[in-house]
Amino acid sequence: MSVAFEAFYLPLIMLTVTLLGGLRVAGRVILMPPPLFTLVLAMLLLGILVRSGALAPERLMSAARSPAANLNGLVVLIATFLASAQAFNLATPESGLPRLLFSVFLFILLLNTMAASSDRIRTLRSLAVTFGSAFVLKFIVLAAISDPVGGRLKRILLVMLEGLTLGTLTQDTFHPITGYLAFFTFVLFVVGVSLLPGRAVPSDVLRLRSHS
Amino acid sequence: MRTVGLAIAASYGAFIVWMYVRQPQSVAEVTGGLTASLGAYHIDQRSFDEGLRYFRNDQFTAARLAFDRADPGHQDARTRFYIAYAFYREGWGRLYHDDMLFARGLEAVDEAIALDPRGILVIEDPDLALRSPGELKGELEAGLRSDASDLNPFSAFQRRK
Repeated sequence: MSVAFEAFYLPLIMLTVTLLGGLRVAGRVILMPPPLFTLVLAMLLLGILVRSGALAPERLMSAARSPAANLNGLVVLIATFLASAQAFNLATPESGLPRLLFSVFLFILLLNTMAASSDRIRTLRSLAVTFGSAFVLKFIVLAAISDPVGGRLKRILLVMLEGLTLGTLTQDTFHPITGYLAFFTFVLFVVGVSLLPGRAVPSDVLRLRSHS
Repeated sequence: MRTVGLAIAASYGAFIVWMYVRQPQSVAEVTGGLTASLGAYHIDQRSFDEGLRYFRNDQFTAARLAFDRADPGHQDARTRFYIAYAFYREGWGRLYHDDMLFARGLEAVDEAIALDPRGILVIEDPDLALRSPGELKGELEAGLRSDASDLNPFSAFQRRK
């Protein structure tokens, strides 16, 4: 990983996710700090990334590196943690039963991914699917149910959810730009995570040896 | 290169923390807040004077618009105070007050108080009976309160401050 990546691109990507992850546009612009539970989810995600080799902390901070390089590494780690917390904040609905269900679902999903001990590629794929699904559920399905005007999707969902009290599902409605920003933020986060310095896999080691 | 990266990341991080704490509502508020933190924020004096002229002629909506033009970043306690005062005077009535205008006045005076945490702001304006944000806040809160004093017939003889 180049110095530019470690010193500029990764911190800027992760800090941008941190900024945009709490952004909600309704009647006014709201910046929501991460709830405590998302900090737990972020810590779990960091654990998964380290275990899968998607993140090698020793390549960011170690005794062999200079103090400035270690500081850069620390910034990347802190920014990744904050970005993870805000990505989960963005993925979780703001209130009611959906918030509880999403929180439990994400927690179990992360524990399951950790127990599965998958490799880097599978972990990144799983992360993309998790945030992609959360985006669809929150910003398309739940947003359609909560839309006071309602369209065709709302009518279909109402038929599917017949008998269920919608009061437990409906959320505050946000301006459509919130969804677009959320999509951009999720993509940026997954890109950022995939750019983190990972543990060298055996094939990389062999390639490096053959070059030397 | 690493040091420059650290400086940029630290500045960006500080900017994010500032954004979450201050919750700005417009680009003007963001730039205003940032320039104010560097001590480089100035109101548009021409718009302020215009607002003051409207205020003294009891043209409160025009006055508030001019004051908002003067302080688009919501960073000047004196301008916020005058906006709050415009809400107070417009909402004041001999028999009853307009609660909506008083509530908006309270929001504006709270902004003025937040911008003047040491409470040193005193407006030397002979046209005003309430010279500090604290006094104005008290008057607005009293106007919004519903109690037995609302039934006092002598309150109809009170004067607008």
